[in-house]
Amino acid sequence: MSEGTRGLLLSGVGGQGVILASMIVADALLGAGFDVKQSEVHGMAQRGGSVFSHIRWGEDVDSPLVPKGSAEVLAAFEWAEAIRWVEYVREGGAVVADVRTIVPPGACNDRRSWTARYPGIDVDLFNDRELKTRLIDAAATATELGNVRAANSVLLGSVAAFLDIDMAHWESAIERLVPRGTVEINLAAFRAGREFPQARVPRPPLAPEGFSGPHEIDINHVWCKGCDICSRVCPEYCLAVDVDGKLNIIDPEACTGCRLCELLCPDFAIEIHPPRSPVAVSDANTAGGGT
Amino acid sequence: MADVKTYLREWAMPHVLCPGCAHGIVMRGFLAAIDQLQLDQDKVAVVAGIGCSSRIVGYIDFCTLHGTHGRAPAFASGLKLARPDLHVMVITGDGDGLAIGGNHLIHAARRNIDITVMLLNNSIYGMTGGQAAPTTPEGAVASTTPAGNTEPNFDACKLMIGAGASFVARVLAANPIEMSKVIADGVRHPGFSFIEIISDCPEYYGRYNKVGGGADMLTWMARRDAGVAVPLSEKKFVEHVPSSAVPLGMTTGVLERDIRPVFTGVRRQEPL
Repeated sequence: MSEGTRGLLLSGVGGQGVILASMIVADALLGAGFDVKQSEVHGMAQRGGSVFSHIRWGEDVDSPLVPKGSAEVLAAFEWAEAIRWVEYVREGGAVVADVRTIVPPGACNDRRSWTARYPGIDVDLFNDRELKTRLIDAAATATELGNVRAANSVLLGSVAAFLDIDMAHWESAIERLVPRGTVEINLAAFRAGREFPQARVPRPPLAPEGFSGPHEIDINHVWCKGCDICSRVCPEYCLAVDVDGKLNIIDPEACTGCRLCELLCPDFAIEIHPPRSPVAVSDANTAGGGT
Repeated sequence: MADVKTYLREWAMPHVLCPGCAHGIVMRGFLAAIDQLQLDQDKVAVVAGIGCSSRIVGYIDFCTLHGTHGRAPAFASGLKLARPDLHVMVITGDGDGLAIGGNHLIHAARRNIDITVMLLNNSIYGMTGGQAAPTTPEGAVASTTPAGNTEPNFDACKLMIGAGASFVARVLAANPIEMSKVIADGVRHPGFSFIEIISDCPEYYGRYNKVGGGADMLTWMARRDAGVAVPLSEKKFVEHVPSSAVPLGMTTGVLERDIRPVFTGVRRQEPL
């Protein structure tokens, strides 16, 4: 590794503008006279997957990949992405994390709720290390400025506060790269981000009202002919027909209540009931979160 | 929305249809449509002929009539003329409606009498042992065509548009929600409504043609779908995918919707 080469990581979810932000960072660094290498992974973006970008800069950069434990700054556009990448940050480095959560479909127990295997907002996660942690609600700031899509510029502004580059380089990079007609709002968002709009209180993860546990699957075994349609259409693999042709519920907790099995049962043998014993939302979160 | 089971004759269940037969899905979709329309159970009359699909009327709790083979549209026409206050519907199959009863079906359509015909097309004679039907696609194996059917098959919807039906639609049993909406639309439509519901026969068609069981047949059915012609709007049918372009392809959706004088109304407004 060349002496004096420094690294920065941006991570987020498809659609948040991670790649554009990384282009702006790289452009600003180039403008400041550094050698810059940038590398990104964005293939899974449209599936709600993670998007990340490595940027390294210095006198002479050999590799674009930031080694673990060496990044100056991690800019995470989404909460789980912050946790995923935090080990790349060096001791004394900075983490700028958005407190917004975007739950991937694979982690949902109930498509309408945001419980399940999603990490809760817990600032203590970073406290055992010497990190400068900044939690911001970029989307809220950008919305106040008039366009939620400028959230990436808010985050970028926060990042800029940790990098010692002249503001002129940042602003010219933004002017050059953002879509035409959005320069002003992006510049405003960038400046707002530099002020560290500290997130009010990191919100608890977002269990919407109405979620109260998995749905109940009620099978009428007298009418069921074991035709296997329900078990084949169930997206959550809740049902299975055993060798004797008897339909069994193998994962009652996973039912999201989509009712495909009920609608496609030719024998009227399945009924899906909304949960009967409502669980308090906070309990549901504790049960699902943190694993 | 009430539970569709309230429209079932629960004492008669479970029904006789084979495991995985999509006719049961269609029955549920039909009941859901009736539930959407909030019709009085005593004002709904469902007429059927002979066949697997026609067995459905034994399990649904409306005024039902299990008539002679192929004559369901004739029974229904008589019933509608005598009792115009009833919502008269016909559940028929491809053999019942297009083979032995083809004549009755086209003349009911020509008159534009206000009944709703649901034709459950499983592409084969299921009840009698898997013989080739007028709807068996060319090349498909049936018990009477072990080397593959050599005849072209009927396009029921084109036939009914030609015969003068004022509402013609095709839906898949694999899309139960759309099916219920289209059935409800057809029942609301003043005049002759014809809805071809693509159903399946895993026991004969699926086995002979190596498609598989009920779940496989639903997937296969969805693959044959060449897309929705017209969403459920007031627009008339504009587009058709030629069957040569997509092998076994078919257009789903509402294919024809027209307002024409209804037979019952004409007779009553202009006394002889």
